[in-house]
Amino acid sequence: MNSRERVLKLFRKEAIDRVPCFSGMGNVTETGINQLGYRFAGIHLDAKQMADTAASTYKLFGYECGVVPVDLCVEAEAMGCVINVYPHADGIIYPTIKEKLIHNEAEMDTIKIPEGYAGKGRIPLIMDAIRLMKADIGNDVAVGSYVLGPFTLAGQIMELNDLLKLSFKKADKVAALLDICADAIIMTAKEYEKAGVDFITVREMGATSDVLSPRVFKNLIMPPLQKVIKEISAYSVLHICGKTNDIVTFMMDCGPTAISVEQKNDVVESRKKLGNDALIFGNLDAYNVLVTGSEDTVRSAVRKCIDDGVSAVWPGCDIWPTVPPQNMKAMMEETISYGGKR
Amino acid sequence: MADESRKKEILEKLRNGVIQYDEDACREGANEAVAEGLDANEAIFDGLVSGMEEVGRLFEAQEYFVPEILMCADALYAGLDILKPHCKQMDLGVKGSVVIGTVEGDVHDIGKNLVKMMFDVAGFNVYDLGRDVPLDKFVEEQLKTDSELVCLSAMMTTSMVGMPKVIEKIKEKNPNCMIMIGGAPTSKELADKWGADGYAEDASNALKEAIKMVAFLKKLRDEKLQK
Repeated sequence: MNSRERVLKLFRKEAIDRVPCFSGMGNVTETGINQLGYRFAGIHLDAKQMADTAASTYKLFGYECGVVPVDLCVEAEAMGCVINVYPHADGIIYPTIKEKLIHNEAEMDTIKIPEGYAGKGRIPLIMDAIRLMKADIGNDVAVGSYVLGPFTLAGQIMELNDLLKLSFKKADKVAALLDICADAIIMTAKEYEKAGVDFITVREMGATSDVLSPRVFKNLIMPPLQKVIKEISAYSVLHICGKTNDIVTFMMDCGPTAISVEQKNDVVESRKKLGNDALIFGNLDAYNVLVTGSEDTVRSAVRKCIDDGVSAVWPGCDIWPTVPPQNMKAMMEETISYGGKR
Repeated sequence: MADESRKKEILEKLRNGVIQYDEDACREGANEAVAEGLDANEAIFDGLVSGMEEVGRLFEAQEYFVPEILMCADALYAGLDILKPHCKQMDLGVKGSVVIGTVEGDVHDIGKNLVKMMFDVAGFNVYDLGRDVPLDKFVEEQLKTDSELVCLSAMMTTSMVGMPKVIEKIKEKNPNCMIMIGGAPTSKELADKWGADGYAEDASNALKEAIKMVAFLKKLRDEKLQK
């Protein structure tokens, strides 16, 4: 069973030899970027560099997937936002949105998805990167991509501060905006599917219970998420950051193939709530364990994730690129040696 | 000068205005406080800040979430804007100036703004650098203003990692400067490791830390007044 078969079987809930180690979020490493002779700021704007870098994590460490893009600004850019890739930065700085589309409440009513959205911004570039990556490592690993959740996208195209307050004061207005965001996200996902992805992660990072009440999640965040996930025909994973124990049932009710959580989620509790059959990914601390921890810390964290009941060892966020190569190796080795013992 | 029961009524109006995110009530309470000669500092601390403390508690109890806190903050500012010009300068024996901002690569500023609010309340000189701030700018601004406190905020792991560089540079040039880091991915371990003096991982925590500091200043003020 190779990595690709293992991950696809997992999505189909078929028997596998061991828990896989992969993710649907960013996982490029400085080790990979340097070996290729690229610069972090450059890989967002060049399909080949993006695909090569993404594939390098599998090639170097055996990480069981290939995922593009690397940043979180694709949809907002296609909607018309200007992004900043920090071209002159020495270190690693992820792209951000420079200019919002909606500057006040009134502009929420006038926002539209631009004509020819699927050809805007870097959507065609990401499709190229998916194709290149698939041609390169697609026989060995599952190929994935990610889109934002409607609320998280809305928080990029308007001030998050205003969006949060209006979620409370004028929920109808926000719901209408989220529905438009959902449509843009669906169009994005469909393009990625055309390029051949096996799975798509929907990253609704902004809608964690650290920020919004479970009630607001259910009434406002869930309907557009359900709409998006229903339209994804690839395997889908819904990821939410932060404390998610109170909303894991809602997350599943959004209809994804699997859910993804970070280290603040108590997976034992989530497993109890969702049952043995549910696919729960994540929980491995992508920074405090993977980047700053020792190899032993990484190994014991991997074992704990598996003991707690994750369906895949899956870092709960983008892997920070400065991750020490020995920690990546430790994560893979421990998954391989311990992941079949459950 | 208003009598005790009237004073209590006004303070209560300010406090509840904040808790119930009622900007109008806060404005009204603040105008009454000014018109009836209440001590503005007292109206701020025993009215508005006291309300914000309760908001922090409600957040912790998961009755309030971030949208509510933001609305409460608006209400607090509505009162503060009116009261502030009437504040007596508090002689606290500290200079009280702070450089605050969200680090480069991060455009989220909600946590930063909440902490900033508490410094505004405490009468600090706040040098707000905004968001997506190049790391060297923090160092420059600290040196320029000789602030005794620098607050760095980041909401995402992917932007937090610039923090240790700033901390190192500032501490190198000015070892006595206090540095507070904040944002969801920060932790006590990281603060210790990077040599920061304090941290706040979420809005309630940031609020609590800032309130603690402001409460400490208030205690100093009260002790001074008693002498």
